[in-house]
Amino acid sequence: MAGTVDTSTSKTGAKTPRVNRSKWIVLACVLAFVALLPLARFLDSYNYVLQVGIIILMWIAMTSGWNILSGYTGYTSLGHNVFFGVGAYVGGIMLVEYGISPFVTAPLAGLVALILGAFAGLITFRARGPAFIISTIALLLVIFLLMDNWEYVGGSNGLSLPLPPIDVTWVKVPFYYAMMVAAILSVMLGYRVAHSKFGLALRAIAADEVKAEVAGLDTRRFKLMAYALSAFFPGVVGAIWGYSLTYLRPTAFFAISVAAQFVLMALIGGRGTVAGPVIGATFMILLNELSVTYLGFSEINLAFTGLIMVLALLFFPLGLVGTLRSRNKLPAWLDWD
Amino acid sequence: MIDPQVVILGLLLGGVYALMASGLTLIFGVMRVVNLAHGALIVLAAYFAYYLYETLSIDPLVSMVLALPVFFVLGVALYRVLFPRIEGSDRFGEMTVLLTFGLAFLIEGLMSFFFTGIFRTTDTGYSTDAVFIGDIFIPTGQLFSVIASAILLIGLWAFLKFTRLGYAVRATIQNRDAAQLVGVNVRGVSTISFGIGMALAGAAGTLVSFMFSFFPSRHWQWLAILLALIVVGGMGSIKGAVISALTLAVLSSLVTDQISPEWAPLSFYGVLFLMLMIRPHGLFGKKVRI
Repeated sequence: MAGTVDTSTSKTGAKTPRVNRSKWIVLACVLAFVALLPLARFLDSYNYVLQVGIIILMWIAMTSGWNILSGYTGYTSLGHNVFFGVGAYVGGIMLVEYGISPFVTAPLAGLVALILGAFAGLITFRARGPAFIISTIALLLVIFLLMDNWEYVGGSNGLSLPLPPIDVTWVKVPFYYAMMVAAILSVMLGYRVAHSKFGLALRAIAADEVKAEVAGLDTRRFKLMAYALSAFFPGVVGAIWGYSLTYLRPTAFFAISVAAQFVLMALIGGRGTVAGPVIGATFMILLNELSVTYLGFSEINLAFTGLIMVLALLFFPLGLVGTLRSRNKLPAWLDWD
Repeated sequence: MIDPQVVILGLLLGGVYALMASGLTLIFGVMRVVNLAHGALIVLAAYFAYYLYETLSIDPLVSMVLALPVFFVLGVALYRVLFPRIEGSDRFGEMTVLLTFGLAFLIEGLMSFFFTGIFRTTDTGYSTDAVFIGDIFIPTGQLFSVIASAILLIGLWAFLKFTRLGYAVRATIQNRDAAQLVGVNVRGVSTISFGIGMALAGAAGTLVSFMFSFFPSRHWQWLAILLALIVVGGMGSIKGAVISALTLAVLSSLVTDQISPEWAPLSFYGVLFLMLMIRPHGLFGKKVRI
């Protein structure tokens, strides 16, 4: 799935004189593979393959979003699935009340998440460091509580959505492509942020916020923008994912274990890098699928999530992309920073 | 109309929350570590008391005394394994949050694997009993646990106030670098404080085992309340944690009584957000950048 960034980098690639051709060939191959995966229709476990693809692409979009706030500024959000859930409910309500397909309203769901992110930032950025992280958890729990008790959207019983009007053999395909577009756009956004003055400002905030402020950066504005932007794609894919589930339940979206996935994937891939979320999401979802298939435990999976997170932080804090880069072994087709 | 019964029940609850939160805020004060695994260890201690009662019929109040050294040692071991590696890191505060976040999932996953997700309560004779003082009824179990919490909190206070080690701990809370400069073994103090914080969590867990029903993932609900308490009280301030525990627990009892129990947790989060807007460093926190 690494090739999803291909379209974004090719633009800037054309501008640089020394184009590493093999890099583009690899990226184009990966992207072509991703785009043509639905042709696996003619294979056996086709729906399973597409479903795994959908989940991977979804997490690429979500983790890339999270990375804008927590990867670059160092303000870790442990409640980012709040935007995922809000996106799902916006898409769901628009479908149930007005009959508009979540494929159409997904950008709107992202926009609602973005506005919520800006508001969340207004409150949570009053605190720094650990108190900020605590307030992101509290935000998640407040919204969870509200959704659990809001009868209009079904409360804790959840909200049933009408089934997508698509034949069951093809039903995964539109979801797959929608997630693919979201993933590509989110990585493009990540790339733009990383290569802009805005991204530079965010990194300055991470390095030393006081100095950044003294140097004349309006750190508060940049942090708010980062929070808002980081909420957009979780909202977008939330609407699509909710539609594919056809049933929205607060626990499926607002559980804190979902928040842990953001952190874990970004950590494994490499925080604060463009390729990190892509690698991390792909790696973790595939690992999870393998462990469910071959080990089959579900309770112990949570323990593994925790164990991997602890081990990664202690021995591997830069993640795959960061570690490879620090050893100068990062393949060119993964070097997007 | 405020019912004195509701206030009393809130205070009883708040006493135990105060014990839970004191360990968390002590650990933060000394080491700048937000221990997100605190709730998971409380639940682990609840299982500890539950199984001791079920297999050996040891009363949870006795288990509480046993839990103190057991969880102290566990805390020291966890500290030794987890923190020295990242001590020099420039993002230490954030790293510790993520590290203990992972640890919380590790403990929760292991607990659900070994103890299953079934709701448990240590069913002692007094856990469903009550005494009456005038018109006010007081559940015996909660009364016992609030007395036990009070004894432990007074013990903690006396330790901090009157022992040399406690003096060193307070010095480290006040200013880590300066404490090191005047000869405090900051790492030793940190290790012991982490152990004490865990011992308090262990004791709180044994009390929780007969006060509430618990299951492995229950710890997030408690953790969220505790985090709100320590931010509202001012991170690192034990006094602040105790005061906010008592007041917010009463507030949540009032919400339960006047509005509905579903909204009771909102009193903790709501006050947390209010406090962040008015006074980000909390009631008794230091007004410094962390």
